[in-house]
Amino acid sequence: MKKKKGLSVLAPYLYIAPIAMILLTFVAGSLILAIYFSFTKYNIITPAQFNGLFNYQRLFRDSKLHLCIINTLKIAAIIVPFEIVSSTLFAILISSRKDTVLGKIAKAALFVPVLSSSAVIGTVWNTILNGGHPAVKAIFGVFGIDPTLLLGSSKTAFIAVAFIIVWKGMGYYMVITLASLTSISDTFYEAAKVDGATKWDCLTKITLPLLKPTIIMNIFLSTISAMQVFDMVYTMTGGGPSMSTTTLSMYAYQLTFKGNKAGYAMAVSNVLMLIVLIIVLFQQRFIKHENSEI
Amino acid sequence: MKKTSRLLVDIFLIITILLCILPFLYMILMSLKSTVNAYDFDFALSKLTLKHYKNIFTNSTFIRYFFNSVFVAISGVLLTLFTSCTAGFAFAKLKFRGNDKLFFLLILSMLVPSGAILVPLYLVVRGLGWVNTFRALILPLPTAFGVFVMRNAIMAIPEELIESAKIDGATTSKILRTVILPLVKSSMLTVAIFTFIGAWNNFTWPLIITTDDAYRTLPLALKAMQTQYDTDIGLTMACATCTFLPPFIFYLFLQSKFEEGMSMSGLKG
Repeated sequence: MKKKKGLSVLAPYLYIAPIAMILLTFVAGSLILAIYFSFTKYNIITPAQFNGLFNYQRLFRDSKLHLCIINTLKIAAIIVPFEIVSSTLFAILISSRKDTVLGKIAKAALFVPVLSSSAVIGTVWNTILNGGHPAVKAIFGVFGIDPTLLLGSSKTAFIAVAFIIVWKGMGYYMVITLASLTSISDTFYEAAKVDGATKWDCLTKITLPLLKPTIIMNIFLSTISAMQVFDMVYTMTGGGPSMSTTTLSMYAYQLTFKGNKAGYAMAVSNVLMLIVLIIVLFQQRFIKHENSEI
Repeated sequence: MKKTSRLLVDIFLIITILLCILPFLYMILMSLKSTVNAYDFDFALSKLTLKHYKNIFTNSTFIRYFFNSVFVAISGVLLTLFTSCTAGFAFAKLKFRGNDKLFFLLILSMLVPSGAILVPLYLVVRGLGWVNTFRALILPLPTAFGVFVMRNAIMAIPEELIESAKIDGATTSKILRTVILPLVKSSMLTVAIFTFIGAWNNFTWPLIITTDDAYRTLPLALKAMQTQYDTDIGLTMACATCTFLPPFIFYLFLQSKFEEGMSMSGLKG
């Protein structure tokens, strides 16, 4: 009887054990190693040597790192506003055509790039842009752009990559915004109509204010993922030309696998982690604030 | 006036649909054309061919990649369902010391930016001696998100159902298997789909943790093809289509599950 009781006290922990082991090993383990190796000189092959704050001091001198920070910010500066504006716009337009075939197709179509692998998107867009197909050239020609030069020039490559990331990501935020739009009660709009409000009034005085928490949440989500961009850049440009699209997470990758500087790479990835965590903290404060308002 | 503005919006939406779909349509059409005429616009049925698909599905390396992708994604789904259902059940219905605190730690782990811990994660897995293994590809797949979804679903199950099963003499694990899980199938499906698509599409982790063809997955094969056979666009596009289709087919049949999971992933942050 006593033994049985002992077991039943332990049982709940057994149920948590699998996920706990996985998260402790991979998430907590990564955090610990990232901090530990950032204080060492480590090239993966020979044992790590403690070198104090050297790696962190180096962050300030490393002009390549500064370039990567600027690249990341430049790409994020395109991704975040365009993803948010386009996803909000499409959510509003699609919700006004919710029950039509066109609305349903548009909703599904916008989501197709979201669920495709970045490798597929990188390959397909590379082929489209660089393939030199006359029809593709004609479409881009309308805007005065030669598609075959886009990814090859350090002036335009980051813009092209950023817009393809927007193209891939906007459906995600659109679905979130659309879910929040459908939860707005029709009575608001009916009351406004009685008062003689125009469609524009409804949009700016009812829809957008009520969407504000969702839009702000999307801004956070989009910023957090934009700061960590890796796979789309890797498959589109590989970080080039001449490092113009190398982002922070890609730089940490290159330092480890191409530069044999894993210790320093840890310091770089800790900087990235810190940036993202600061954004996340702001986001958490925002969530708490919103909840207390409700 | 009103009619024209509605028409303009309709046209705008049609252009958007085309913009989202055309690259994939282009991919599929190119994969069906023989290479000689890859860049013309002639899609007459007589000029379409399945030869690229025949080629890749008789290539043993490609079959290996395809099998790896399927194996990793399915094992990842099963493992995630197991960890999410057991932990979700414990957090939702079992009483134990530290329940709230442990759950808080779990939620905290969702805040760790996955893109920023990729290289340290490589060092962990390397330290375990797991480079070029299926373990390395599969074991890191379960996340706290699955536990979060399952806990929310299981919490909605009335306590009386569990109590009456207990009176009938059912053990805790039997309650989970016979009472709880049949009631949360829908949430399990959501977790399964999200894990499958995440694992299937994952590019960065397999890139970092595998160097051996025996363990590489389809997205990596695609990237390698792009540089190796960039002249044979038909073959590359056939491989791209094979990578694209499984998540797309899931989406076609289970669209509502996606939206459910998405709105929860929006909440999690």
